[in-house]
This record gives sequence, C-alpha cells and structure tokens, in this order.
Amino acid sequence: MHVPQNDATTVSAGPEFDYAGLEGIPDETVDGENGIREHWRVFFEHMDGLGVQEVLRRWEEARQLIRENGVTYNVYGDPQGLDRPWELDPIPLLISANDAAAIESGLIQRAHLLDAMLADLYGPQRLVREGILPPELLLRHPGFLRPCVGLPVPQGRYLHLYAADLSRVADGQFYVLRDRTQAPSGAGYALENRIVMSRMLPEVFRECRVQRLALFYRTLRDTLRSIAPVDRENPRVVLLTPGPFNETYFEHAFLARYLGYTLVEGADLTVRDGRVYLRLLGGLQQVDVILRRLDDDFCDPLELRGDSFLGVPGLLQAVRAGNVAVANSLGSGLVESPAFLGFHPAICRFLLGEDLKLPSAPTWWCGQQSALDHVLAHFDQMVIKPSFSSGRTPPVFVDALSSSEKQALAERIRRDPWKYVGQNRLQLSTTPVLVDGRLKPRHVVMRSFLAAGGESYAMMPGGFTRVSSVENSLVVSMQSGSGSKDTWMLTAGPISNFTLLSEPRTPAEVRRDGGDLPSRAADDLFWLGRYAERTDSITRLLRAIFVRLTERPGLIEVPDLPSLLRALTHQTKTYPGFVAQDSEETLLRPIEELTSLLFDRLRVGGLASTIESLHSVAHRVRDRISIDMWRIILSLESRPGEVIETRERSRKEPPPPSIADLSETLNNLDITVTSLAAFGGMVAESMTRGQGWRFLDIGRRLERSLHLISLLRSTLVMSLPGEPTVLEALLEIADSSMTYRRRYMSRLQTGPLLDLLLHDEDNPRSLAYQFEAIARNISRLPRLDSGQGICPEEKLINECNDRLKAADVTELARVDQTGYRADLERLLVMLQAELPLLSESLTRTYLTHLQASRQYHAYTI
Amino acid sequence: MLTQSNMLYQIRHKSRFRYDSDVLVCQNLTHLKARTLDSQTCIGSRLEVSLPPAVRMEYLDYFGNSSCYFSIQENHRALDVIATNEVLVRPAPAPDPAQSESWNIVRDNLRLSLAPEIVDALQFAYDSPYVKTDAELLAFAKPSFPEGRPILEAALDLTGRIFRGFTFDPAATTTATPLHDVLKLRRGVCQDFAHLQIGCLRAVGLASRYVSGYIETTPPPGKARLVGADASHAWTSVYCPPYGWVDLDPTNNAIPSGKHITLAWGRDYDDVSPIKGVILGGGYHSISVEVDVVRLPEDVRPTPTETFESIS
Repeated sequence: MHVPQNDATTVSAGPEFDYAGLEGIPDETVDGENGIREHWRVFFEHMDGLGVQEVLRRWEEARQLIRENGVTYNVYGDPQGLDRPWELDPIPLLISANDAAAIESGLIQRAHLLDAMLADLYGPQRLVREGILPPELLLRHPGFLRPCVGLPVPQGRYLHLYAADLSRVADGQFYVLRDRTQAPSGAGYALENRIVMSRMLPEVFRECRVQRLALFYRTLRDTLRSIAPVDRENPRVVLLTPGPFNETYFEHAFLARYLGYTLVEGADLTVRDGRVYLRLLGGLQQVDVILRRLDDDFCDPLELRGDSFLGVPGLLQAVRAGNVAVANSLGSGLVESPAFLGFHPAICRFLLGEDLKLPSAPTWWCGQQSALDHVLAHFDQMVIKPSFSSGRTPPVFVDALSSSEKQALAERIRRDPWKYVGQNRLQLSTTPVLVDGRLKPRHVVMRSFLAAGGESYAMMPGGFTRVSSVENSLVVSMQSGSGSKDTWMLTAGPISNFTLLSEPRTPAEVRRDGGDLPSRAADDLFWLGRYAERTDSITRLLRAIFVRLTERPGLIEVPDLPSLLRALTHQTKTYPGFVAQDSEETLLRPIEELTSLLFDRLRVGGLASTIESLHSVAHRVRDRISIDMWRIILSLESRPGEVIETRERSRKEPPPPSIADLSETLNNLDITVTSLAAFGGMVAESMTRGQGWRFLDIGRRLERSLHLISLLRSTLVMSLPGEPTVLEALLEIADSSMTYRRRYMSRLQTGPLLDLLLHDEDNPRSLAYQFEAIARNISRLPRLDSGQGICPEEKLINECNDRLKAADVTELARVDQTGYRADLERLLVMLQAELPLLSESLTRTYLTHLQASRQYHAYTI
Repeated sequence: MLTQSNMLYQIRHKSRFRYDSDVLVCQNLTHLKARTLDSQTCIGSRLEVSLPPAVRMEYLDYFGNSSCYFSIQENHRALDVIATNEVLVRPAPAPDPAQSESWNIVRDNLRLSLAPEIVDALQFAYDSPYVKTDAELLAFAKPSFPEGRPILEAALDLTGRIFRGFTFDPAATTTATPLHDVLKLRRGVCQDFAHLQIGCLRAVGLASRYVSGYIETTPPPGKARLVGADASHAWTSVYCPPYGWVDLDPTNNAIPSGKHITLAWGRDYDDVSPIKGVILGGGYHSISVEVDVVRLPEDVRPTPTETFESIS
C-alpha cells in the first residue's frame, strides 16, 4: 500500500493500493505523521502481494456468493427495497490488540451497568428516588413498561445479548454512540461477513492473527440454556421473529440455523396453562427460553400493546409464573434510548461504584433546564434526536437547517423539552473502502456485541462495522444505505480454532422423528411445493408454445397452437384470455397476451406473479431449505425480472416480436425449466424425509396432478383435426416424449398416450404416480386423533386412485361422431372436483389452529 | 367521629360475553377487587366464572391494585364473569379547601422535590395512553387556577365547571373517543369527564389519577331500585397537600363520601379497566354488563370471604 505525502520508507513495497485520509480527521488505517499504522502493515503487505486486480476478482466472487446466499436487508417504506442485497466492503476494519482489550474492558463494564440500571428501574428505582435520574425521564419514557415491573428474571439478569455502536473521534478515544439492549441486530450479519471474508482472503486472514467468533456464540448459547426455568437436558430455545417483513429477517433465519433454534413467529406460539407452547404438527411442545427479536411492547397484546398481532397473548403471565425465560428480559429496551447517555457517568458511580471506562457520546437531555439552556446556547454544534426513540428517526444536524427551520426546531424543543436530546457533533474517524478499484476514506461505526456468560459478559472479538455511503456523510446506518465491513480484532495471543458446527460436548441425543415441525412451516412448505410445481407447469406449457412460435413463424399453420394457448388460459386461470367468445383475433396474434402472462407481475396466475408467490413463500421457510435450494429460487426470480424491464420500456409502442425476442424468451424458459428440475432434484436427493418434506411433496404432487388434469381436459376432450401434433406437445410438456418413443416408436395415438400419462405407475409424471406418492405421504403424517381406521385424507386420495384405475384407456380415448370423449371428460371433471378437497382436508386436520391464531381479538370493558 | 355512620355495600358486577362462533382460548385480566383504604375496607370479594378456568393467578399490579388473570381453554360461545365485593365504607368529613396548599407551590414541589411522597405522586403527573395534555386542555383549565389559589379550591372549581359545562350522554362517546373530541363535543360519560379533569390537572403541572369503582344510586322518589341498573363508575383523584390524595367526582360535582366504592386506580382507564382480554376464535362478539350496588342493613355482616370459584 502506498500512502501519498508520507515518508515512503514506512510504506510497503508495491504501490498497488493508494490511500490518503481526510484532512484533519483521524483515520483508522493511516496516521498523518507515520503513514500506515503498525497493525495494518501485515494486512496491506498481503493485499499488495495479491494486487488490485486479484482482489477485485475475488471480491466479485464474494459478492456473487452474497447474492447467491440471499443475504439481504429489508428497507422499510421502499416497495423495491424488500430484500436489498447486502453491501459488503472487501477491506475489513482492523482493530489492534491493545484497542481490542480496551474496548472489551469498557464494554463489559457497560453491559453490567445497563443490566444494573434495568434491575434498578424495574425494581426499587433508587436512581430516581436518590436523585441520580430525573423522575420525569423514567415516568415519561414510553419504553418503561409498568406491567414488567417485578417480573421474575432468571439469575437476576436482564441483559443477555447487548450491543454498542462505537466510534473513534478526534482525540483518538472510542465513544459509545448508542446502546442496543432489547433485541440487538447485526450479530448474524457479522458472522456472515466473516464467512465471506475468510473465504475471499484466506491467506491474509490467517497471517493477520484475527480472533475467531465461534466461542462468542457458544457463550450465548450456554447462557440461554442456563436460564431455562426447568433444568432439562435439552431445553427448547426458540428465536422469536416479527416475520419476513422485518428489516433483518435474513439474520433471524441465519442465526436460528447457526445456533440450532427453531425460528418462530408469534402465531407459532400459544400460552396454555400459563406456559408457552410451540404449535407443532404433532401437537404442542413446551418452550423454555425465547430469544426475541421482537420489540418489547409488541410481545403480549394482553398486557402490552393491544394492537400487536406479532406477539404472544399471555406471554407476560407465563413469565410472571416463572414458566418461560425471555432474553433480553421484557422491558429491557428502556435503557437503550439516548436520553440516558448523559447520565451514565453518575449512574455508573452510583450503581457500580466505578468510573465509566468508555465515554458515551456527550449528550444533553433537554428535560433538565440546565441541559436545555446548554443545547440552545450551542445550537449550531448540536445534533438533535428524540429522547426515547430507538433510532428510527433520523438525527437532525442543526447547522444544516435554514434559520427559519432552526427557529421552528428550537420552538418545538422549548414546548416539550423532555422529548429531545442534543448531542455534540462528533468527528468520526475514517477508514478505507474500495470504490471502483481505489481506496477512499469513509466514516466508520463499529457495533460490538456482548453475551452474558457466567457472572460476567463476553465480547465478540469482531463486530459489525458500517461505513457511510458517501464521503462526507456522517449518517451511518443500514437503513440509509451505508455499507458494511468485517471487523478483525487482532491478538498477540493464541487463536482458538473452536467452531460451533462440530462442537465436542455431550453427545447429541439421536433423533429421527422430526415431529417438531411448526404447523406454520408445514403450511408454508406445502405451498412452496405447490408454487414450485405451478411455476414448472406453466413454464413448460409456455415453452412448448414458444418453441412452436419460433419454429413456425407463420402462426396460422400451426394446428396445435390454438389448443395449447387455450390450455394456457385454463391452467393459469387467466380468463377470458384465449378462451374468450371472440378469441380468434387473440389466437392469431397471441404475443400481447403471452407477454402479459410472462412478465406482468400484477397478472395473477401468470408466470411472473406465480414466481413472485413462490419467492415469497420460500422467504418464509428460508430456515428450512438448503442454501442451494434457496439460490435456485432466487435465480428464478431475477430472470424474468430482467426481461420485464426491457419490455416495460417498450410497452408504449409495442414493436412486433422479432425472432430474436422469441428465442431469448425461449432461452429463459429453458433455464427456468432446468432450474426447477434442479430444485426437484434437491427435494428428492437432499431433503430428509421428515414431515416438512412430506408437506412439500404433497404440495408438488397435488399441483402436478391438477395441472395434468387441466391440460388433458383442455386439449383432448374434444378431438380436433391434427391431433397428433397436440399429442406430441403434450408428451413434451409432460416430459414423457422419450418413454413414449421408446415404447411406441413414432406412432402418436391417444390411447397409449393416456396410458402413459394417467395410468403408468412407473412414469414419475403420470397421475397414478402422483396419487401413489400422495397416499404414501399421507399415511406417514402424524395422526392427531390417535383414532383407528382411515383418515379423511387417505379416504379421499384412495377414492381418486380407485376411480383412475377403474377407467379403461380404450374407453377414455374413444370419440363419438362429434369428436367428443365423454368418458375422459367425466373422469377428469371428477378428479378436478375431488383433489382440491384433499388440500382443504389437510388444512383442516393439521393447520386449523393456525388460521384461528390469526383471529385474536382484544377487548376491554 | 360525629359524622354519618359507616355503610356496608354489596356490589355485584356481571359481565356477559356471547360469541357467534367457538372461542378456543380466552385470557383475561381483571381489576375487580375493591382496595382497602382509610375510607373503606374490603370485607369480601369473589370472582365467579361460568366455566372452570385452566389457570388463575392473582397479584398486585404496579399501582398496588389487586389484579386477577384467568384463562379458559375449553371451546365456548358464552362466558359470564361475576365479581362480588362487600365493602365497608367510612364517610369522612370533607377537607377544608381553603386550608389546602396553593396550587403553584404544589406544582413547583412536583418539579423540584425528591421527597418520597412527591416521587410517588409524580407517577400520575405525566401523559398516559388515554390522557394526552395539550394547549387546549391547558386553556380550559386555566380560569380555575389563578396564581396562589388553594389547590383544592381550584380543583373543585374545575370539577364544577366540568359538571355544569358538559352533558352526560352515553351515546356521544366510546372508550376510543379521544379527549380532544370530548372537549369539543362537551358530552360524554363519567370516564370521559374523569379523563378530562385528569388532563386539565396535569396540564397545569399537578398530579392526578383515575379511580375506577362504583357509586350507589338513588331511585327516583316513589320508584323501586331497578336490579342491574347501576353501572361501574369512574372519577378523579388529585394530589392535594396537606391532605394527600383527594377524590373528586366531576360527573356528580362532589367530593365522594359514603356512596363511592373504590376498586382500583391508575394513570387512566387503560391501567385499571375492569376486564380486558384476548380471545382466540370467536368471530363477532357481544358484551353486556350489569351492576348492582346494594346497601346492606347494618345488622348484616357477611362473613369475610375471598374466593374465586366457577359456577355451573
């Protein structure tokens, strides 16, 4: 690395990377006088060795990995912002061993401090009664949840996972900018960033003596196990998420999988007999510990926010009865608000008898007259924030306001001073990020994590670092579009090679039942199967249509095309489409309708909208499908998306489709078919045959049956001239051409085709095969009634199967004088009516309480 | 004391829940047990539920009220909850308003002092879910609070102004009607008037709390008392040195004495609603409430009881 305007002898060999900090602002990496800082030397020696081009190449690979892993962050209030890909910078933030030790000791004290504050404020309130904190600060605080006062807290501990945002400022000292005490986010992203970086720069990572992260997560896991109310060998710990629309849902799923916890939403849990239970397919199972990512006031609509649909009614009562432990304890969000920051030194002396080691950002709570005077007297240097918010509202930099805006703000502050804090503007240090192959300085904030362990806290020897998105922005937050970095805390000591994935401790109990599937997940997997298969069926039919459009551009000469187009309308249920009364014109010029079915996301039933549904349901079970399966589903989403944009641009004046367009579309359809085949392969080869798999498979088989029935009904019930071409298309769509050719050479006849597609139990695309598979799956689902005899779902599928078997192929294929196949239609109509009942019956038996759980009513009289 | 003699009341408070489809689980939180205070002793209290509760737990809430949680876990379409309290009420002579502290001294003490009594009073000095102060409430309150006026005199003046300026009208508001609208409509029920007065008192910087309870009603002359015709009642209490907390009933323009029975108090209705709950299932529901406040003859002394039982 080369540091301009500095003594060249202090800089490493190759000037591959140029970097200069900003005038007058401290930099993490270079020192204005001595060039590169000592603890970065090894890092940049290796980076120079790799060279800019190689680093960029690896970074591209790493970004690809991030996209494929589906690492995302949802941005609120932005319809396009759901699942924005994660921004990771390839240059980590290096923290020297000395700094790391100082931060650790400061943050451990701080974790104890905040824990002690919670114990006091939710207990004797000495801080208020003895004049350390203004009573108004506590009593006006919306995060002070009175129902949580006096709740039992296991081991007297309120805070199990704590995070602090830190920055170094001009004087070289680290400051805590804010605390996270209720449900800190980022610990999972930190881990994901580490995985990506250590894969991208393995040799650099090794040589730099970077501390590993896994021990931290073990501490967290041990602590959560230890707070279970009952001493059980394997207490059940769940991770409670607000759901897929939360900004950090990716992380919830990722952490749950990493820590081995079930990811649950409020609706998965229920309180019975004063205990918390998880709704599983096999019944209810008691939950001992809840690691929550849900905000305090949403956790229990009975005692906290009555309008919360995300929580668990009665949760507080279960906590009060000592039957479940919640981490962090309910109400712990209280102490994370900026209003407390200015009081920390005094509180620390009062509660811990120590001086505060790491300073908080200098903060004045305007509820005190002297603080209000100070803030208004130094208004231009102030950043104004709401006293009690958790950071959702952007801070206001006073000197960026017009004089009338300043006046209005001062007016608002004077009217309700307790609502605001003023903070000195801090000059945050910078660190390099890679922009277009060059290193640029950006302001940096590091989030550190601490987990309770034993009597104390353990710091994650790493962290989640964010940098501002543009050079002179001081706002650093993921919501406002900043990037992130891995954080390397260096050590002179030994490095633990511990990994959580192959942890040698008490041998795990061997279990095979897998009956612990949450009912909601079963429901989602069922629909994942259905949407995946629906996408496949529609794509195959579309492909058959586009093959014909491409090969034979004179549309009118293709006799099988109208048949397929009509089948498409039936399959996608996008009436009237190609079956309208006056559909001749549409049938002759099908491109517009096909374009809509392909690309219009608002066209329910079309391909784009089906893929969107598939993606959204997959999102909900992200923790239950493998990374590879997830990648396939993501890849499905993007491809038609790219096409849509070009389409939409040209929609105003639709040009006649060219062959190039058609073949491009055809290519994309081919890729989709292949991807779905890969997905199907993984379902078949890589998923354990647990209850989740069964629901997924039933969904797929059911959907495949329905599509095949609909396809046959719309193409074969009325025999039309040129039927052999239709038969050929059917075999192609049903992926059975090869088998047919092998058996019957090229004589295309309806009878043999119906046998292959309806009755042949060896053909994995036949109806008989689907029915057998469904019946087998159903027979292995847990029986809830513990009753004797046959369950309604079994009865239904057996009936369908019997009717199918009883039908004679010759009869089915027979046509009357008008070309009508009465027997075929009768059979297909019957099956089309019966199969949906199976879906309903499954829902009734296994998932009813789910629907009911979404009908909680709160009342007050 | 040479004032009226003590009175013994029995209050029966029945809540009927009816649903048009099955409720699978219901969980309830009640504030239906009378507090024991200088002015009243709760001699007996029962909570009866028409279905056997799976769980029942009683505890003191943040404000020292007795709160009861119970859950019903069997499918049902009807549930009756009957709370019965027997309370001995001791009427006390009204404090002399002229002897109370001036209101601005009380306000300043609330701002500056850390005396335990003051910190306790501050619990009721700030905005709460149903009572948000604003400039309009302050403007409404102001005429009653000239500089230096004894606090109780000022508070009673405010009570009278609300009583005279507002119309009791059960059709005008619901529990969801914001205070702002009550002030504009000049109509409401006891709960609205209590909230209104609390808001006014807090707006001028005083501490005021919401009291939930019952009041004995007198039938029109010559008519018999109708069973179930009473209702639960609500009024206001103000922190009023040197007398401590003094209750004020803006609905009846009186300092309660002898006819009011206190169940619970909090910052506002939200803290002490008689029953709140969450049900799973149930579809559309209807709720009806009947209250009877009966004065028992002096020579009848119910045996002290404190039970929770189910009736079938």
